[in-house]
Amino acid sequence: MAGAIIENMSTKKLVIVGVILLLFQAFSFMVGGLIAPSPTTAVHYLATKCVDSVRHHQSNKWFMPWGPNQCDKIRDLEEAMSRKIEANNIVFAVHIPLPNKEMSPWFQFMLVILQFDIAFKMYNQIEDGAMATIDVGLAYRDDTLSEWTEMAHSIEQRKLSCNFTTSKTYENEGRYYECDLLPFMELGSVAHKYYLLNIRLPVSERKKVNVGIGEVKDIRLVGIHQNGGFTKVWFAMKTFLTPSILIIMVWYWRRITLMTRPPVLLEKVIFALGMCMTFINIPVEWFSVGFNWTWMLLFGDIRQGIFYAMLLSFWIIFCGEHLMDEMKRNHFSVYWKQVGPIVFGSFCLFIFDMCERCGLNTHRHTHTHTAVHGLFLTCCFSTRGVQLKNPFYSIWASDVGTELAMAFIIVAGICACLYFLFLCFMVFQVFRNISGKRSCLPAMTKARRLIYEGLIFRFKFLMLVTLTCAAMTVIFFIISQVNEGHWHWGDYTVQVNSAFFTGIYGMWNLYVFAIMFLYAPSHKRYGEQQSSGDAGASGEDVQLTTTITHVDGPTELYKMTGKEAQE
Amino acid sequence: MQTVSAVNLTAQLLLLLWATHPTMATNWLSLARMPRSRPVSGAAPCGRLRGLSVGQVGVCRARGEVMESVRKAAEMVIEECQHQFRNRRWNCSTTPRGINVFGRVMSQGTREAAFVHALSSAAVAVAVTRGCSRGELERCGCDRKVRGVSPEGFQWSGCSDNLSYGVAFSQTFVDETERAKGLSAGRPLMNIHNNEAGRKAILHNMQVECKCHGVSGSCELRTCWKVMPPFRRVGAVLKERFDGATEVRLSRIGSRTALLPRDPQVKPPAARDLVYLAASPDFCRLDPDNGIPGTAGRRCNGTSRLAPDGCELVCCGPGYRAGRAEVVQRCSCKFSWCCSVRCQQCKNTVMIHTCRE
Repeated sequence: MAGAIIENMSTKKLVIVGVILLLFQAFSFMVGGLIAPSPTTAVHYLATKCVDSVRHHQSNKWFMPWGPNQCDKIRDLEEAMSRKIEANNIVFAVHIPLPNKEMSPWFQFMLVILQFDIAFKMYNQIEDGAMATIDVGLAYRDDTLSEWTEMAHSIEQRKLSCNFTTSKTYENEGRYYECDLLPFMELGSVAHKYYLLNIRLPVSERKKVNVGIGEVKDIRLVGIHQNGGFTKVWFAMKTFLTPSILIIMVWYWRRITLMTRPPVLLEKVIFALGMCMTFINIPVEWFSVGFNWTWMLLFGDIRQGIFYAMLLSFWIIFCGEHLMDEMKRNHFSVYWKQVGPIVFGSFCLFIFDMCERCGLNTHRHTHTHTAVHGLFLTCCFSTRGVQLKNPFYSIWASDVGTELAMAFIIVAGICACLYFLFLCFMVFQVFRNISGKRSCLPAMTKARRLIYEGLIFRFKFLMLVTLTCAAMTVIFFIISQVNEGHWHWGDYTVQVNSAFFTGIYGMWNLYVFAIMFLYAPSHKRYGEQQSSGDAGASGEDVQLTTTITHVDGPTELYKMTGKEAQE
Repeated sequence: MQTVSAVNLTAQLLLLLWATHPTMATNWLSLARMPRSRPVSGAAPCGRLRGLSVGQVGVCRARGEVMESVRKAAEMVIEECQHQFRNRRWNCSTTPRGINVFGRVMSQGTREAAFVHALSSAAVAVAVTRGCSRGELERCGCDRKVRGVSPEGFQWSGCSDNLSYGVAFSQTFVDETERAKGLSAGRPLMNIHNNEAGRKAILHNMQVECKCHGVSGSCELRTCWKVMPPFRRVGAVLKERFDGATEVRLSRIGSRTALLPRDPQVKPPAARDLVYLAASPDFCRLDPDNGIPGTAGRRCNGTSRLAPDGCELVCCGPGYRAGRAEVVQRCSCKFSWCCSVRCQQCKNTVMIHTCRE
């Protein structure tokens, strides 16, 4: 009787396989640490204050802060007072790559964060609950001589949460408030070379627009994008991994189809896991370099979510299949209680991230608007979705949006906790059964003993490997969060954050690879010696067929029962 | 022939006169006094800037567009110094004209000179960094230590932040006059130490901000960056260092010279502390030879008795007198975030205290 390859492998071969996998793992860490640069870059921009001398509401005048067609600048707002320039005529202009640099599609995304520099003045303080209304336009062009083409225009509201750390006295006038970062813009693809942002803070006392926001001295922006070098290394890794995992999948499926019996649930789940990994590995992102597909980020999130859901389901089903109890399993429907929270939690996160393509072109979400849509679509707002239409949309900008977002995250978190409780309980049950069977192992027939020992070994091996992988993921995640991101060893700089990404990605690929290789059904038959062994209780054999992968199930069973019949 | 030799002689005389003029390291602050329309970049204008030393003119010619930021830095120094010292006996007053902005007070190595040096070097770093962030400067941040030269380097791994460029420029420009004088005399060593203290005041007060932008906004992918402190905060930090400055003297250790504390029980100053060589004069009485304007006629705060801005401390001996004055102030102003403000005019009677002669 035989089971998976792993049960029939000698220890020496298993160690060799392990060492090869560890070498590949170390290689994937080193690729990230030594070759790739840091994953992202943050570039600081300080807005230049341009003067819009004639109020052009309809014209497409774009104000450039530097270069040949510079706008008419003011150095600071005191100069505005002396030149009698009004607040509505001031445009803050930012040109996104700094001079002599270009943006590139290799940057994959662009995230812009806004920070106000607001000075404290006794008679012009920031009121409680102040909202800044920002009128922003985004334009692009691909060479330095052509005209600017408008890409997006929106009037956004952001809540100012600023506090003043020292006492509010005349002595401390001129010091700046400490304000939170405001999420400003997110572009899902960087298709053009040069971008221009023109920001206005329109003032209207009658409509209470931008009153009570203190004295704004400067607007600072931080532009975050992925480094081109990291993107290239990442694509190279994906391109290398895709054929490898496809080969192992084809090999695995051939072994399964070569057997005479239909595939068991566990084998189907392993194959599905391989397919999810392939789905992640397929380097569709190469198209982002040539085409302007803004949904790439969303697509990547969906792929990662599907893989995690499949991985969690695999663990549960693996534990269930190895329970070695009296239940009849081998059907997916048995596991609805455990897989349910996984699916529900993933669905919540998916909706949170989901694209709402129903033409929601609104720029301002009033409360009623959000409530109506909330009722109708239950949870259609987005981070990535609406941003496809309006890059300035931020779910965290309105209170209702923030609350709904938090609700979804909390629900997903609760589902995750439920899942882990189930998983721990199942693992506990398996170990309890193992210790129970262990005590009566010597009393069993050799055939059955080998089956159970195989099962136990398989289960423990997978537990060990999974725990190691999960522990490594958590440890490296914590390291990448707390330290600065790069270490210096003599001449070399090791990029720890990049090493984390490539290493963990490589690790889970190797994990799936190892599972498919080691848990494929083995063609070895070492059942011959048992068939002449002792006559065991035939009744128990019938139970085992559902949980154990046989080489030739019915034949073997027939042999045993036939033998008994002879006797 | 004779005209040529006469021209040579006058040129040499002028050079001699120029050389004996007390070259203060802070003369470049006179850039703040120039009208804003006057250009400060380009080969010809650089040579005509009177406040710069020879080495600084060389820097000006090599990196032309940075000088506009240096001019802004000079304005920032004067404004911040006068804000920090507004309540002290020496209130950072400027001379009416000339290239020596703060007068002969800077010629002795006092605490006040230490503060001005530190503040000016910090201001150059801040102003050049801001100029880089605005895109006014052509070469920032992508020069060194990055694989490949821009623009290739920028595409592969991004550029180092602009502050390194600003600090490096501050070292090149502000320390230039001290290095030209040699590093064995007391005053150049003190100035270099204080310049470095000014730059350290910026570097030690940077704040780290982070943004999480991974899958569904999780912190799987997190980007952090450092934010430069506002210049008012740098001024406040340097004012604290001013209050705790260490008095040093030039000592010889083996073959080198160094600045060690005058009081051997005080621990040696750290890189971020300010040092000074001579005790500050009493700023009370008018002393035109040493450039001290005295406190006569200064406004003081009559209500706070023992605070540094109170009249007892600011007006030293002669005391002060109180008077009433009618002032017209703006009141009930309607403010927006900038610019036009609609105010009414209110007449108020206020008590004004001034120091006696």
